[in-house]
Amino acid sequence: MSDIAIKASEPLTLRAQLTEDWLAVVIGLLVFGSALVSIGGVDLLGWAVTTSVYTDISLALSPFAKGYAWLGGGGALIATYVALLAVLSAGVATLGADVRKFALAFTATFAIAYASWIIGSYAYVAAVTPAEQQKFGLTWSLKLTNEGGFIVALLAGIVIANFFPRFANWLKEAIRPELYIKIAIVILGATVAVTAAARLNLASSLLLRGAAAIVEAYLIYWAVIYYVARKWFGFSREWSVPLASGISICGVAAAIATGGAIRARPSVPILVSSLVVVFAVVEVLILPFLAQTFLWQEPLVAGAWIGLAIKTDGAAVAGGGITESLIMAKAAAEGIKYQPGWILATTATVKIFIDIFIGIWAFILGYIWTNHINKGPDRAKPAEIWQRFPKFILGFIVVFAVSLWLAIGSTPEIAKALPAAAGEANVFRVIFFVLTFFSIGVLSDFRKLWQQGFGKLAAVYFVSLFGFVIWVGLLISWLFFSGFKPPLVS
Amino acid sequence: MSQPSLRDEIATQEVEPLLPIEKKLIGYSLGLGIVLLVVLIAVNHFVPIKL
Repeated sequence: MSDIAIKASEPLTLRAQLTEDWLAVVIGLLVFGSALVSIGGVDLLGWAVTTSVYTDISLALSPFAKGYAWLGGGGALIATYVALLAVLSAGVATLGADVRKFALAFTATFAIAYASWIIGSYAYVAAVTPAEQQKFGLTWSLKLTNEGGFIVALLAGIVIANFFPRFANWLKEAIRPELYIKIAIVILGATVAVTAAARLNLASSLLLRGAAAIVEAYLIYWAVIYYVARKWFGFSREWSVPLASGISICGVAAAIATGGAIRARPSVPILVSSLVVVFAVVEVLILPFLAQTFLWQEPLVAGAWIGLAIKTDGAAVAGGGITESLIMAKAAAEGIKYQPGWILATTATVKIFIDIFIGIWAFILGYIWTNHINKGPDRAKPAEIWQRFPKFILGFIVVFAVSLWLAIGSTPEIAKALPAAAGEANVFRVIFFVLTFFSIGVLSDFRKLWQQGFGKLAAVYFVSLFGFVIWVGLLISWLFFSGFKPPLVS
Repeated sequence: MSQPSLRDEIATQEVEPLLPIEKKLIGYSLGLGIVLLVVLIAVNHFVPIKL
């Protein structure tokens, strides 16, 4: 569902969630399909803007493909903005949104988010290795990598949410972190496939271990947190189910899905969801740096841990991206150059495995609630499994499968051209990540934590997250991934 | 229902005792989860990650 619903529209419907999922699939496939055309020699997306680490801002931006160099950095940025505005405006129109309001709000959202990304690429922020510092003539840098831009975007959003609430409210039509991250995850399928194709054994091993994430999230986290909420904090069943689901499974989507399944009032999971987003922000600001400090020698443990500890797809997968950059930077400073993509792929695999089962878990809870606790005519039906299934995962699977087939099952020429095509799509994945981070920030009104009553919900979250979820997630990640490293750059 | 009344509700709601079906759900989930984790750890041991 769109996180905008948390603040903007009280009556949240399952139908809207499904529509947004399908929209993410359509846009993600559109980007992927357009990128694939480049394999045939026609470059449809080469105009997309990319940002390099810079000290001279006039050199920061450029089009992705040399064939579009005539556009220049500014032209590429405008072309990217116009294309995204057109596609997303058409998309949100199908959701029944006010397109004019969306267009205005998206313009400001894109401008601030991409400006944050550019700031994050400033050499004093991004340069990591001594060689990079020397290249730019620096004596120091924050060493955040260029993906520090995600953090800048998140902080920009938080500032707006907490100090400029009227502006945050004006932006709300374009603040759709769940839509943005779902599109990004669909596109990510191509990068993951290209990465996996190089090491199929390692990739299949990662998939096997995704099963552990499902067991941990649904059977262990959920049961413990539900018990804590009910027994220690005295929450009712109606509150405890979405709360346990939000903290243990996949954040907003899980709280909404299971809340609906037990026939909770819509406003209950919505309030829980806003809490989930606030905590996810706190985690994104802390955990990747902890992972860099303590887990840089165990990159796959770090990737899995982020996927298990940070709730909401957006924060988790984007947090995996930051973690990958930070750990690769630290390893590079030590002379170890890992192939990019593996840490993020581990995070995404863990998260996607967890997401897949949300429909089944919601049905199980719905069946128990409507048949044993609140018996009534509105009984849970098996069709709800499909209704609550996160459809964007189908988009990821299609993109992954097609890319993998092209990489290992087609001609050598196509296999050779595929990484460039996936890279072109990846430009948009990065942009949607930036939009996600900024949007999450704009939804993070920390004052809510101090509001009467809300503190009790936050206490359950705090106790569960920092007393249990993070540490068990770390233990499980360690048990399954320790000792195994991503391949090195050859 | 508006958020202020929800907040009041959180602050004042009466404790609902755990029903037997809830206890079963918690117990079976945890039990099954731990068993499955042990099985997966064993699988992980005998089928290590291949590089």
